[in-house]
Amino acid sequence: MTRSSEPTGHGTGSAAGTDSPGATNGTDGTDSISCEGVGVTLSGSSGALDVLGGVDISVARGEFVSILGTSGSGKTTLLRVLGGLLPATTGTVRCHGSVVTGPADGVVTVFQDYVHSLLPWRTVRRNVGLGIEAGCDRAERDERVDEALIMVGLRQRADEYPWRLSGGMQQRVQIARALATRPRVLLMDEPFGALDAMTKASLQDQLQQVQELTATTVVFVTHDVEEAVYLSDRVLVLDGSPAAIGLALDIPLERPRHQVTTKESADYLRLRHRVYEALGHDIGERARLGEHDHA
Amino acid sequence: MPEASAVASRVPPSKALRGRINAVGAAVFVLGLGVWELAVRTGLLDFAYLPPPSDVVVGLGELIETGQLQGALAHTLFVALSGWALAGLLGVAAGSVLGLVRPVWRYSMASLEALRALPIVAFVPVAVLLYGFSARMEIVVACYAALWPILLNTISGMRTEQRLIEVGAVLRLSRPAVLWKIRLPAATAQIVVGLRLGLSISLVLTLVAEMVGNPAGLGFLLVDKAEALQPAQMFAGVFVVGVAGIVLNALLMVAARLAFRGQLNAAGEGG
Ligand SMILES: Nc1ncnc2c1ncn2[C@@H]1O[C@H](COP(=O)(O)OP(=O)(O)O)[C@@H](O)[C@H]1O
Ligand SMILES: [Mg+2]
Repeated sequence: MTRSSEPTGHGTGSAAGTDSPGATNGTDGTDSISCEGVGVTLSGSSGALDVLGGVDISVARGEFVSILGTSGSGKTTLLRVLGGLLPATTGTVRCHGSVVTGPADGVVTVFQDYVHSLLPWRTVRRNVGLGIEAGCDRAERDERVDEALIMVGLRQRADEYPWRLSGGMQQRVQIARALATRPRVLLMDEPFGALDAMTKASLQDQLQQVQELTATTVVFVTHDVEEAVYLSDRVLVLDGSPAAIGLALDIPLERPRHQVTTKESADYLRLRHRVYEALGHDIGERARLGEHDHA
Repeated sequence: MPEASAVASRVPPSKALRGRINAVGAAVFVLGLGVWELAVRTGLLDFAYLPPPSDVVVGLGELIETGQLQGALAHTLFVALSGWALAGLLGVAAGSVLGLVRPVWRYSMASLEALRALPIVAFVPVAVLLYGFSARMEIVVACYAALWPILLNTISGMRTEQRLIEVGAVLRLSRPAVLWKIRLPAATAQIVVGLRLGLSISLVLTLVAEMVGNPAGLGFLLVDKAEALQPAQMFAGVFVVGVAGIVLNALLMVAARLAFRGQLNAAGEGG
């Protein structure tokens, strides 16, 4: 795992019980989460590495934005910066108007590696309750946990231990744990990347429903073009070295979307084509750079 | 803990029980006793003071009748368990601090390594000198011995996976909550390993302290019976020591499984 960060060290006093009941959602024009001129330099074994440079993003409330990029392009790094898990070397991150210096209130990151992100000694129910134990009394906690479990369709498995569930179910537990805190922003790092195609499709649709229901702002990192176009209101392609936003593409496909019909529509195919083009161009350039290195 | 009762064990109880009672192992043990009995009776094994198992049983009866065994056993168990419990408190607390606070760890690790290199037995005369021939001396020795495995296992258990710490940060858990809800439970399986090792070494060092220091308990009973040329009773004492060790370890495991079912299951050590 990436170890350069200090997740608990910096920032916001990490007070317990700071969930915000009835968080005001809905797109009222103001930014939910945004960053300006973000650059990140990480020190690797071969010296300092400029991973990100001059990244500007602004995500409106209730918007679903995907960040797309090839493997190693800095997607995880960017999401960690947005989530306050990694301080930016340059630039600032803002969330609902205030500058982010640590994991912000109402912003929850969902990690790709669900196996390591769930507490194996807690049942599903108690895993989902982890983030709201300090702030809610028992009755409210139970209610919110149930609500979150119903949203991801795991109400029946509440008393199971996570390691007895399939990968897809475990990831749903992690998503439910985030939802139970009633987040205003959900940051997801390739949440379905380790799942098979069928599970992936069904989780995409579930996420779509949940987002429609809760109007949560979602920043979704993926390397899967189809997934990004299918789910998003907007797709951002991370490009270059250090990486910045190379392409920003609105996805005006009508909602709700369907795995079959949406993916057959001409608009979808056209948008997908453009994203592939953006990525393909990127790959070609890298290959040429590589040749220069060898010469 | 609420999770203890949440889910039934993975194996049905009858099967689990059968798995634990090792019939073949027991048969071999009984066979060994038979061979020993025969070898002594037929003169195949010819030591002046080696009693056959049947004499040992008689010796055990004598020890129980005179009440010597009960007294000695109670003393030794009290001392070993007191020292171990004290070591448990100290070891888990100090191990948590050492595991969590980098500077403390950096400054004290060299001294700890040096102390650990010192064989624990060498510490017994020191304790005798400091505390005299007393139960307190024994407890100090037992505690010191048990402290090491508990401390070191706690320190290493406290190196929680980075991802779990990030989960705590993302869910905005307070520092005490991260310690209590994430780090300590994640370390539980390893702390239990330390406690088990600590318990057996606590018993061993209690016996040593009784043999060379405080004239009380099972340790003293063994040397006393040997010097009094009563091998049957001495062997009975050895037998009781062995059984005590096994029973203590088993009790600890049962208690740990009851208290930390989820944690131990997760670590693959559940029942
Ligand atoms: N902790 C770290 N220290 C040094 N380099 C890192 C660290 N984490 C990631 N990197 C490097 O930063 C680049 C981007 O990584 P990452 O954000 O994980 O990419 P992605 O998620 O798009 O696959 C990679 O080249 C990776 O090797
Ligand atoms: Mg990544």
